[in-house]
Amino acid sequence: MKADIDMVISHDGEKWIARNDSMAVEGRSFPELDANLVESLRETGRYDGSHLTVFMGFDITTIPSWIHQYAPHYFNRYVHVDV
Amino acid sequence: MNGVNRKWYDGMAYQEDWWAVWLGLIMFGAGLLSIVGIDAVGWFAKPTTWVWGEAGVFYKASGKAYKGMSQVTSIGITYIVWTALVCMGAYFQKLNMKKFFLGWTGLFIITYIAVAIGFEAHLSAPINKWGKYGLTWGLSLGSGVAFILCLVVGLIIGNFIKPLAAFLKEACKPEWYIKTAIVYLGIKVGVMSMKAAGMTFELALAGACATFVAYLLFWPIIYVMARKMFRLPREWAAVLCSGISICGVSAAIATGGAIRAKPIIAVMVSMLIVVYAMIELLILPGFYSTVAPDQPIVNGAAMGMTVKTDGADAAAGAIMDEIMVANAAARGIYWEPDWILTASIMTKIWIDMFIGLWAFVLAIIWVYKVDKQPGTQTVAASEIWFRFPKFVLGYVFCWFFYVAIAMFAPDIIKSAKIGAGTVQSPMRKFMFMMTFVAMGCITDFSKLKGMGRLALLYGVALVVIIAPIAYAVAYIFHAGMMPPLVGS
Repeated sequence: MKADIDMVISHDGEKWIARNDSMAVEGRSFPELDANLVESLRETGRYDGSHLTVFMGFDITTIPSWIHQYAPHYFNRYVHVDV
Repeated sequence: MNGVNRKWYDGMAYQEDWWAVWLGLIMFGAGLLSIVGIDAVGWFAKPTTWVWGEAGVFYKASGKAYKGMSQVTSIGITYIVWTALVCMGAYFQKLNMKKFFLGWTGLFIITYIAVAIGFEAHLSAPINKWGKYGLTWGLSLGSGVAFILCLVVGLIIGNFIKPLAAFLKEACKPEWYIKTAIVYLGIKVGVMSMKAAGMTFELALAGACATFVAYLLFWPIIYVMARKMFRLPREWAAVLCSGISICGVSAAIATGGAIRAKPIIAVMVSMLIVVYAMIELLILPGFYSTVAPDQPIVNGAAMGMTVKTDGADAAAGAIMDEIMVANAAARGIYWEPDWILTASIMTKIWIDMFIGLWAFVLAIIWVYKVDKQPGTQTVAASEIWFRFPKFVLGYVFCWFFYVAIAMFAPDIIKSAKIGAGTVQSPMRKFMFMMTFVAMGCITDFSKLKGMGRLALLYGVALVVIIAPIAYAVAYIFHAGMMPPLVGS
């Protein structure tokens, strides 16, 4: 699936954090994260009026390394947002 | 984006799962050279039975072409070749190379010593071979005693010699080693298919059916139990439930990801699973062998559905194979070895393959029903591929390659078996032994402390739900199946 924006997502124990080279957004839940994402995209002023697909790939390196041998993937999510 | 699976080929160079395939196929390819008359693997040091008090030859080269090679040379080449291979994998996996090299070397030495002790004739020689070794008494435990010794040594290190466990930790990758061994088992199953094709495919089909039925029963029962009786929150219940009822840590992580649970949930459940898998492994082989000595294949299949994590299941299957074959031999019944192990691995592999699909179904349920955010999220089918156990590709490839040889080039079977013989037996067993020691080293029973309800639910579900249903389902689908007799 193609995405307009690629981000890496992780969890710091309290919040989900999605980031790429140009922005970082946080949220205690996915609805909050997605709302903050839309807000951040609006603030850039580059995507006004756009319908975007955002890819968030979980950074497996944030999970203890001994677990990687059992499962090298946590999840990816595609979020569709109207800016 | 390091650490993120985006494209279908992501991870091929740096994931352990893929490195099991690469290590598997490297030796598979080397073994195949025997077709053109080159025994490229016969230098491998395999244990040999020895008698206490006599000059010790503990290892010998496994190939006839290397008959005159000393045990020191054979062990030395084995160490150098395998160290080079695993260090190459460790390098690409971005492990700490110094720690890995030292840890691997430590594991290698510990394993080779434990295995050598396990092959002492008084411990291992079957009763019909006492004469050959000049014995008047013995325990007739077969080579299973070497497996058990490796486990026990690992557990002692992991629980009582923690500085040593920490020293070995970087190289303690039981899942990598066992997945590599399972790729080699694919060669074994291919060779078995040459001899008993019907039985092999019947075993595979029965394993698939049994696994499917068990899935449908385990998950809903334990989920309801976790929610209603143990009052676990939905995310905890789902993750624990998958870990207990499907394939352990990989299922817990897959489910945690599928339902977008906080990673800490999946991590805590995984710690619990690793410890419980070891408990299952220590109890079940002896239990099944004693309670149902005449149901080898049923026992193997039930083991595959009961014991979580590939390493623990393979270890349990291998130990039970050794115990049951030795016990049957004492009764005058000579089963071919490795069929019980194969039964246990086949059900486990089906379970491993289903987890990707199951996690995908759960993800859809969670995203579109449970945590509904209309129109904002999509679950990509690529998630199934990212969770697919890649080592299965190596296993199936090796299996069908040897079946193809039998079908289309029967005149090269004899020469193909020379290389295959080393890779599928002593080399595979070596990886099993390394797995057992590594698994023991990373199993710390003290981690059960503070797990409270989770640990209790796991224990109750295992004893009351998983083990009985798994055995019943295994019996329904495998009843009457027996390993071929030696020489038949």
